[in-house]
Amino acid sequence: MIVPVETVLGLSAVLFGIGVFGFLARRNIILMLVSVEVMLNAINLSLVGFSRHLEDPRGQVLALFVIAVAAAEAGVGLGLVIALNRNKPGAGVGDLTELKW
Amino acid sequence: MTLLTATFYYMAAASIASALLAVTRRNPVHSMLWVLALFLHVAGIFLLLAAEFLAAVQVIVYAGAILIFYLFVVMLLDLPDEEARPRFGRHWPFAAAAGLSFAALAWLAQVNRLDAGGGVATPAAQNVAAEGLSQGSLSEVGMALFGPFALPFEIASLVLLAAIVGAVVLARRRPARP
Repeated sequence: MIVPVETVLGLSAVLFGIGVFGFLARRNIILMLVSVEVMLNAINLSLVGFSRHLEDPRGQVLALFVIAVAAAEAGVGLGLVIALNRNKPGAGVGDLTELKW
Repeated sequence: MTLLTATFYYMAAASIASALLAVTRRNPVHSMLWVLALFLHVAGIFLLLAAEFLAAVQVIVYAGAILIFYLFVVMLLDLPDEEARPRFGRHWPFAAAAGLSFAALAWLAQVNRLDAGGGVATPAAQNVAAEGLSQGSLSEVGMALFGPFALPFEIASLVLLAAIVGAVVLARRRPARP
């Protein structure tokens, strides 16, 4: 292995932290979904790092499932965004207050 | 430091930088383009970690399909308001603290775990050291995918089918009620 597995896991942790920050701090619902994609990518990175470290293909298989779920999440999430946008233009989460009382 | 190690550190630094830019840019389209840079660099890291198939899937599915889908929706919805309004909520310091603590937690967890191991290589890892870079990781992944993981694989296709139907139902234009 060209770098120790700790480096890969540390990089994955940093990317996950950036994704958490983006999800919690952005006000645009589409960019929040994109931050979730950043988090999923960080998880894929750690799965592949473990797969390489332990020489076990199961890590890569799990990463493939994560990609499939990410594609499903993008489809349903953006469908929701379009449906919301039809009711009320604009994609700011601050505008979506109809379920609040 | 070999060339491969240097390449890895370049990819790591570039992916952290593009992730940071992606979550902080004001213009949504610029954000998307930085996420594209992030995905391509992560694909490069996958190549360095001997996961060639996943690198190809990352470029084709993430960069090619998912991100283009996001860009289409950004352009379809015409989002100028992020230029005018504040881009973060008032609570962004808490969000930064949450992100930092998640990263620190993941980091601490793996450091403790690997220190507790005391550097004892697992049997599998010892094999690798002898064999070097495993040849044909694609065939191993394929055998695992259609062997022990055949049922989860089929369930993943079911999840995708449900997502397709759900997206069509959610985004459909409702007929005007009489």
